[in-house]
Amino acid sequence: MAGTPSRRARLAVLAAAVVFWWGGTLLAQETAVVRVKLIQGEVPMDPLAPIWNTIPASEFPTSPQVHWQKRIGQVTVKSIKVRGVHNTKQIAFLLEYADPTQDPADAAALEFMVGDKKAHFAHGQPMAQVEGGPVNIWYWRNDTSGAADMNAQGFGTLKKQARQDVQAKGVWKDEKTKVRFKERKLNLRKDAKGELMKDPKTGDPLFDEETKVVEQDVTGVWRVVFTRALTTTDPNDAQFQPGTFPNIAFAVWDGKKLESGDLKESGSQKAVTSWWYFNAEPPTNYAIYFYGLIAVVVAAGVEYVIIQKVRKGKPA
Amino acid sequence: MTLAMKGAVLLVAVFLIVKFGLPLITAPLPMSLIWLYLFLTTVGIVVYGTLSGESTEALLGPIFRFLSGEGLNGVAKSARLAVLVLVPLLVGWETYSDLAPGTQPPAENRTIHPAPPGEFVGLANPVPNTPENVMMGKGLFSAFCSPCHGVKFNGNGPASDGFNPPPANFVDPGTIAQLQESYLFWRIKKGGVGLNVEGHPWKSAMPRWEVELPDEAIWKIIMAEYAGSGQKPRTWE
Repeated sequence: MAGTPSRRARLAVLAAAVVFWWGGTLLAQETAVVRVKLIQGEVPMDPLAPIWNTIPASEFPTSPQVHWQKRIGQVTVKSIKVRGVHNTKQIAFLLEYADPTQDPADAAALEFMVGDKKAHFAHGQPMAQVEGGPVNIWYWRNDTSGAADMNAQGFGTLKKQARQDVQAKGVWKDEKTKVRFKERKLNLRKDAKGELMKDPKTGDPLFDEETKVVEQDVTGVWRVVFTRALTTTDPNDAQFQPGTFPNIAFAVWDGKKLESGDLKESGSQKAVTSWWYFNAEPPTNYAIYFYGLIAVVVAAGVEYVIIQKVRKGKPA
Repeated sequence: MTLAMKGAVLLVAVFLIVKFGLPLITAPLPMSLIWLYLFLTTVGIVVYGTLSGESTEALLGPIFRFLSGEGLNGVAKSARLAVLVLVPLLVGWETYSDLAPGTQPPAENRTIHPAPPGEFVGLANPVPNTPENVMMGKGLFSAFCSPCHGVKFNGNGPASDGFNPPPANFVDPGTIAQLQESYLFWRIKKGGVGLNVEGHPWKSAMPRWEVELPDEAIWKIIMAEYAGSGQKPRTWE
């Protein structure tokens, strides 16, 4: 009938809505975890290795560091895309972020908890009611080859480990990329006559906030790869097991030199995230398919016995 | 409707309520608890249905006839076959799902407003609530708090995007409107690292403001947060 959706059409719309809702849910969850894919062969040390293009990225927005007193209100890097691979022995993370200038002091870091104790994401700073543990920080800086493998447990305690287990390599490319971030605008509120409105109690001007996600073209992208063995014998290192969900946090510095001679971001002035998760994909355990099959056979057997008893008039 | 069908309808209704109804008013229930509710409902149905020989026949008779297949034809016969095939497959799928490695991080049962230490319970704001003090508090809030909590007190500051959990939205009636001023004093003074284990202090981006601000400034900020968000502190009266 014209104007009335057919039953099939209604079902199609319902199915599309379910798929959209489900898909949306999956995408939202994906952003919270770095999926470290299991690969065959060597993990790539090269940030431009083609394999990275086959690995889905998780994107994490950043904030300026706020715990230390030396803060900045704005940071250059608004978000970081993270990819990960492992081969059951070595693990590699690729950080990709927009930075319009390549500077010697550009830097990036990964942070992990060490051991079973929870550690605060701001350098494992002490917690009043919880006995925290240290953090393991992997640090890369453009003008220094390799990476620094460090520990911290509180502000001012950052220390390079005696044994360095981490490698890192960064490549900056003069290419265009899109950066998505939240833009906030304050608009003064006006009445119908165009007069500025004021709070009747305080006399303060009234304003509305407009927030929208904007996409901006930026030329200049850093790609930085960190690699290390999944497990080491160093008790100061974070240890990783496939299938688990260790915490991970990120930090990035724009080392651009300002006219004053100071660096735009250095030390505690940096873009950070709080704790998120990564999951190193475990090797396929074929035994679970076998156990599932056994369950099917046992359930079918129980069904058969029950039906036979029912048919004989002797309910199970 | 036979007793068996009523039992089946009841089970489906209980499932829909606990799975989709309750999350509308409270947190979603874990599957283990949903299974427990379904088990208890089944036990209740069986107990009720086997109170007499007559009711036992009413409850189990249709089930036995369905299982044996006697007298079934057409759609009923196909439905029986489908059930007999699907049940073992579902058992196998459940077994596989239980053993397969999880793809989601562990559930985090973070308490948003954990109990404060005793020394911070019932403190009265010693700073008079005057327009001047509120104004000074708003200035302090603007300088120290608004980068994360936003100039509109809504947790939408420009420095909030990278933090998980996000900074509190004071306009939301579920935050400071539920708390006393002394609670806010504790949270601002001691910061995220002052939380107990239930509050997951290792994730909080809230600085320990006692390092930078005197108590009087913190009390003024508290007044500004209530005034700016349009909320009132919770009181015992």
